[in-house]
Amino acid sequence: MTHTDGFAGTAPPFAGLSARGLGLTRGSRSLFEDLSFRLQAGEMLRLTGANGSGKSSLLRALLGLVPLREGELELAGRPVTPRALCREALYQGHAPASKPEFTALENLAIAAELDGAATALPALIAALDRVGLSRHRTIEARRLSQGQRQRLQLARFALAGPRRLWLMDEPSAALDAEGAELLEALLSAHLASGGAAIVATHLPVGRDGAAGQVRELRLGRPSPAHRVAQPA
Amino acid sequence: MMTDAGAFLWSARRDLKLALRRRSDALNVLGFFVLACSMFPLAIGPQRELLQRVGAGVIWVAALLATMLALPRLFEQDHADGTLDAMLASGHPVPLLVAGKLASAWLVSALPLVVLTPVLTLAFALPAESLWVMIATLLLGTPVLLGIGAIAAALTLGLKAGPTLVTLLCLPLYVPVLVFGAGAVETHAAGLSPSAHLALLAAGMLATVTLTPWVAAQALRISVE
Repeated sequence: MTHTDGFAGTAPPFAGLSARGLGLTRGSRSLFEDLSFRLQAGEMLRLTGANGSGKSSLLRALLGLVPLREGELELAGRPVTPRALCREALYQGHAPASKPEFTALENLAIAAELDGAATALPALIAALDRVGLSRHRTIEARRLSQGQRQRLQLARFALAGPRRLWLMDEPSAALDAEGAELLEALLSAHLASGGAAIVATHLPVGRDGAAGQVRELRLGRPSPAHRVAQPA
Repeated sequence: MMTDAGAFLWSARRDLKLALRRRSDALNVLGFFVLACSMFPLAIGPQRELLQRVGAGVIWVAALLATMLALPRLFEQDHADGTLDAMLASGHPVPLLVAGKLASAWLVSALPLVVLTPVLTLAFALPAESLWVMIATLLLGTPVLLGIGAIAAALTLGLKAGPTLVTLLCLPLYVPVLVFGAGAVETHAAGLSPSAHLALLAAGMLATVTLTPWVAAQALRISVE
């Protein structure tokens, strides 16, 4: 396969996602209405907004974990349901998504298989090295600190599987400064290789470091003056 | 990319491996079953006819309650540690992932009960020829118990009163299984053919095995919303 579009890496670039008129209701409260955005290969969308403005819910809705009230999604110009979009996406939620009884390496192997990424031992070990868990490979996840468990999550992303859309919910919440740099580096490499990401974070992740284009999508109900500045 | 069969095997293997790491869960179920069954002869006393009369019923009730013990844990931990979200968001067919979990749960918490039953029938002086009927009813009935329970557990996932609700939802649906299961052994002991009972249990088993993964998967989706 040739890459005429200027992206490094072996995997094909992300096909491009566009969302039109998304609306989401939780309980009786409307979180957002008429939310639209486009996301191309090499681009990252930084979700910001106050607590409870629907950042997590938007990510979960894109994966079909929470039903959208209205709106359309298109992948590569064709309509796509959230459940079909799942197959292109790698998701990191609030919970560690690792089994406390399994070692770091076992957790990563199990997750990699589900993600369709490389499951060969050298690749898994390299991914753990990359996120700074090389000395904790055989340690049960229950003995890892919260930050280390978050790094274990990042190891899934470091594996560089076939899923080109990263959906991350507060990926830097429990990370130290070095961990935040690691996240930045992973995102940069991902975007540079033609991937795309939607990251909900309060920290300036992806603001300056990440290669590729980073845009901000602000959720919530801003004052009318702000509404104009909202990206369409 | 993982195939559909791969998704089933992935979750079955993962849960079996987890069960090996958490042996106390399975032993808890088995311990309850053995204890409940072996207490009855001690309480009733050495009255051979009476023991023979109640034996099948007691073993079935104990198996039913033991299965219920395993239900609350079926999805709870996956829900709490985020792996359930990861499965639902993986893009793989969720019913097959659920089916893998249920297959593993049956192997871990129901099959050992069936294997131990021959020993327990001794305590009730059940005739040897009744033993195979007892085994057959348990082999056919435990998947039904587990399937119905899995749907209830998926529906009540994340609720504070979950375990209580599971019990309330399951018990009425468990009654027919219990009646036909214990009934088959009694019919056989009375010298009649238990095939009608067994056929009904088999029908229930087939219906549960084919439908449960889909229903439970939908229930899980509703529960994580």
